[in-house]
Amino acid sequence: MADPLQATLKIGASGLEAQSTRLRVVSENLANAQSTATTSGGDPYTRKILSFEAEFDDALGANLVRAGNIEQPRPSFRLNHDPSHPAADANGYVKLPNVDILVELTDMREANRSYEANLQVVKQAREMIALTIDLLRST
Amino acid sequence: MGPLYLFSAVARHNQWLSVRQATIAGNIANANTKGFKALDVDPFEKVVDSARLAMAATHAAHIGVPAAAAAGPELRAAEAWEVTHSGNSVSLEQELIKSSEVGRAYRLNANVVKAFHRMLLASAKG
Repeated sequence: MADPLQATLKIGASGLEAQSTRLRVVSENLANAQSTATTSGGDPYTRKILSFEAEFDDALGANLVRAGNIEQPRPSFRLNHDPSHPAADANGYVKLPNVDILVELTDMREANRSYEANLQVVKQAREMIALTIDLLRST
Repeated sequence: MGPLYLFSAVARHNQWLSVRQATIAGNIANANTKGFKALDVDPFEKVVDSARLAMAATHAAHIGVPAAAAAGPELRAAEAWEVTHSGNSVSLEQELIKSSEVGRAYRLNANVVKAFHRMLLASAKG
């Protein structure tokens, strides 16, 4: 294993990156919470979900995390009766995206919490490295 | 004055602590990975107990016994506070507590080394 403290920094960085990708997906979902189709009867924006994968790094000998595939699970669109809408179908119904703001906000909070935890680990590792370097300082 | 093993003991403990910190970092990074099982390292006491000192060959007839290879601490599954529906057993609170424990022990070690170093310097300078 490479220097474990250096590895810690790398692992923390991979966690930060994964969580920020997650936040990106959440913001994409939230921004498109009202995006309907532009053609009549077309499908609106479909909610995206990010999953994480543990990835064993041979050089570091540690588990990094990687943002996996962005999936679009089986959509169940809400229907809204609005015949004047450009995307309305023959019966006057408009399909709205399957984005639930509450769920997205919960996901955002969780991403936030995990990000903070990763940041804390990076801080801790930096402090430990600084302590070691401080040993060289003449007293 | 007998030989002072303090520095090597501290170095070994710090090495163990940094491996533990790396393990904790891996756990926290994978806090949202489905099916990930939290890991922890063997306790330091166990690592010390299993470490053997090399026997010195002081005579031509001695057969040198190689010391057990300085293997790093083993990783094993940690006892989990909670397992979520996705099969993930990482608890952020637990990991952060462990991480601060590691930080505290590391700081203690660094300060002990500093104090002893000062002591050695004081006697060397006379």
